[in-house]
Amino acid sequence: MKHLFLSISAALGVTLAGAGAFPSPAQAQEPLRIVIDEAIIEPLPVAVPPFQAETPEAGQLAGDIARVVAADLTGTGLFREIPASAYISSIGNFDASVLFADWKAINAQALVTGAVSVQGNTLNVKFRLYDVFSGAELGSGLQFSGTVEGWRRMAHKVSDAVYARITGEGPYFDSRVVYVSETGPKDNRKKRLAIMDYDGANVQYLTDSGSIVLAPRFSPSGDRVLYTSYESGFPRIYVLDIGSVQRRVLESADGTMSFAPRFSPSGETVVFSLTQGGNTDIYTMDIASGRSQRLTNTPAIETAPSYSPDGSRIVFESDRSGTQQLYVMPATGGEAQRISFGEGRYGTPVWSPRGDLVAFTKQNKGRFHIGVMRLDGTQERLLTASFLDEGPTWAPNGRVIMFARETQGAGGSSTLYSVDISGRNLRPVSTPSGGSDPSWSPLQD
Amino acid sequence: MHSGQYISAAGHLGLIAWLLLGGLFTDRPDTFELTEVSVISGADFDAMVAARQAPQSATEVAQPETPDSVEKPPEITRAPDTAIEQPAPVQVDSPPEDTPPQVTELPPEATAEETPTPPDLSEPVGDIAVLAPETAPEAAPRPVARVAPEPVAPPEPEAEPDAQTREAVAPDAAGEAPEQEPLEATAPEEAVAEIVTEATNAPARSNRPPGKRPAAPAPRRVVEASEPSQEPAGEAGAVDNDDVLAALAAAQEAVAAPSGPPLSAGEKDALRAQIAKCWNIGSLSTAALGTTVIIGVRMNSDATPVNDSIRMIGTSGGSDASARRVYDSARRAIILCGARGYDLPADKFDQWQNIEMTFDPSKMGY
Repeated sequence: MKHLFLSISAALGVTLAGAGAFPSPAQAQEPLRIVIDEAIIEPLPVAVPPFQAETPEAGQLAGDIARVVAADLTGTGLFREIPASAYISSIGNFDASVLFADWKAINAQALVTGAVSVQGNTLNVKFRLYDVFSGAELGSGLQFSGTVEGWRRMAHKVSDAVYARITGEGPYFDSRVVYVSETGPKDNRKKRLAIMDYDGANVQYLTDSGSIVLAPRFSPSGDRVLYTSYESGFPRIYVLDIGSVQRRVLESADGTMSFAPRFSPSGETVVFSLTQGGNTDIYTMDIASGRSQRLTNTPAIETAPSYSPDGSRIVFESDRSGTQQLYVMPATGGEAQRISFGEGRYGTPVWSPRGDLVAFTKQNKGRFHIGVMRLDGTQERLLTASFLDEGPTWAPNGRVIMFARETQGAGGSSTLYSVDISGRNLRPVSTPSGGSDPSWSPLQD
Repeated sequence: MHSGQYISAAGHLGLIAWLLLGGLFTDRPDTFELTEVSVISGADFDAMVAARQAPQSATEVAQPETPDSVEKPPEITRAPDTAIEQPAPVQVDSPPEDTPPQVTELPPEATAEETPTPPDLSEPVGDIAVLAPETAPEAAPRPVARVAPEPVAPPEPEAEPDAQTREAVAPDAAGEAPEQEPLEATAPEEAVAEIVTEATNAPARSNRPPGKRPAAPAPRRVVEASEPSQEPAGEAGAVDNDDVLAALAAAQEAVAAPSGPPLSAGEKDALRAQIAKCWNIGSLSTAALGTTVIIGVRMNSDATPVNDSIRMIGTSGGSDASARRVYDSARRAIILCGARGYDLPADKFDQWQNIEMTFDPSKMGY
């Protein structure tokens, strides 16, 4: 013990002597400590000058790709593009050093530069992202190759990389949405399945408008779609292959109605509602074998099932308590636990891809809301309010929700909208005609 | 002449001194010590020794004898109660009769005619949107893209040019040059204090009480600190470490504490506000909004930050990637708002030469 004291005393003596003899201003001073727990929330200023065309054929695409990148970023509500008219310097060469002072002067906090080349039908796009105030590149430059026809996907890939690097969220721009395209008045509305890029571009129709179609749902791999059709006069579930547009019906007993299907995370099983003898319960069906299993067995109406990302649980809506509420049960059936307890009715629950939240439609006091809550029913947050909002679907990164909004009156129409889970950045999605029942695909390969 | 007397006197003095002090320098003990003793008999000795022996426990304890007879209760003799003498009633005069109250008739109230109405037994209308009454379109929330701690009202509308043409005023050569009007400061950008969603007017929270609280943030992870050394075994564990550490801390504080008066609370708040208004967390991920980072920065004497000195000291509550995003946003804030120098008291430079800032975005999350 004495040795230790002696050692410490000696060390202390040396330390004190050293400190007194050779004071180091940068290290010897006790720092001032402050806590900053307030901030501002506003879009980050970003500059996306036109990409460089490295071949003559790339001239038009270089500008178009930069425009798509800028639109992707600003469309999130998290970024604000600095107009080109404010630029002090331009990017003359993709590999040249950046004059950060010029970009700092116009308060550009992030700068995206890129170059595009075309060789035959091959398109090459490369980009760099700079943190202007750090005066350094944020991550390393990337290059993508594809076909000229797929130039928008290339632009979305660039946007995804920029978005993920700055925000830390997962990407979602390179994804698609399948929805029900609607035309005509309410009393004679034509419905058909359509698929498009997440931003409303490249719309293609998957079915004709000869029969009513409802609730399309993407498979986890993004190559198939489940939907409900009244083609036979009764609601039946179909599986459609997007590449070949071939479809087949999932067999069910005569006199039954099956609807509200969703894939399991493995893509091998479908969970759906089946009405038999006036009672609606939840079932699963193995797609390959057609074997089905009943998960609920109550006299209540139980529908709109949605798997958890790990496939272990299912959230669904039921009126077993007297009003329509949300419940969670094991994926193999069993005791269900109610999770919604607020005012009004809750329906169409969808489990977040992150697994932490459930999006839902809420009906209360004559208005509809899209909202989110945790799986234990806490932290309920309503994001929208209108005459009729319904059918939420999650972006692949779990940050954005798309849904359908119907306007009031005989001439009302249905439009797709998206909203950030903070409740900010509510905006319509541009589609050629009306749309409902959106389902967001996983991120494309 | 008197030498004989001197010798005699010295001899006598020496003799007297020897007689008085000679005994002090001898350590011979006395040869005898006398002690008085008394002689006792053998019986007395045995009795004395027996008294010093420990008492032995008795195995049998005599039980108290029960009393042969039960005590007789005291006899109670009943004596007749003595009658209390009542005072004779006193004749008094009868009270005067009460005066009856005067009643004044008030004008009758107009009675409402009641028409018996049968109760409405029809079934309540269900909560179906199609049957819901037409409601006026609600005002959309203000499309303000900025959320700041202090809300800012929307700016006044831009002035429009007057349609009436007026003649130009000719300068008055003899007059004095007019004073130039001071330029007005640019209006601050419109902002709201919190995120406004479309459903803000609707009940925003579930009535259900909160369930499990989120897990406590992970303990602060020091990024640049070295691994703690192994504690020495053996007697080191017996050392009173608290005292040692306290002594070390006191010694270090005495050396490292900056000189001069510390920043006041107001000065700290002002610095905090200057940085907060530049800290934009609008592009942070939801995960990053739960991550706290501690950043160290060295300052120049002109209150501008030394950009190269900005470094992350520690993080808590999130992944490394989330911490990096928070650090990037905080670093931008420090540089952006410090470009012209923070408003700090120059005479207290020693106090703010090194600043440790904790950036906690959790309060601004959703």
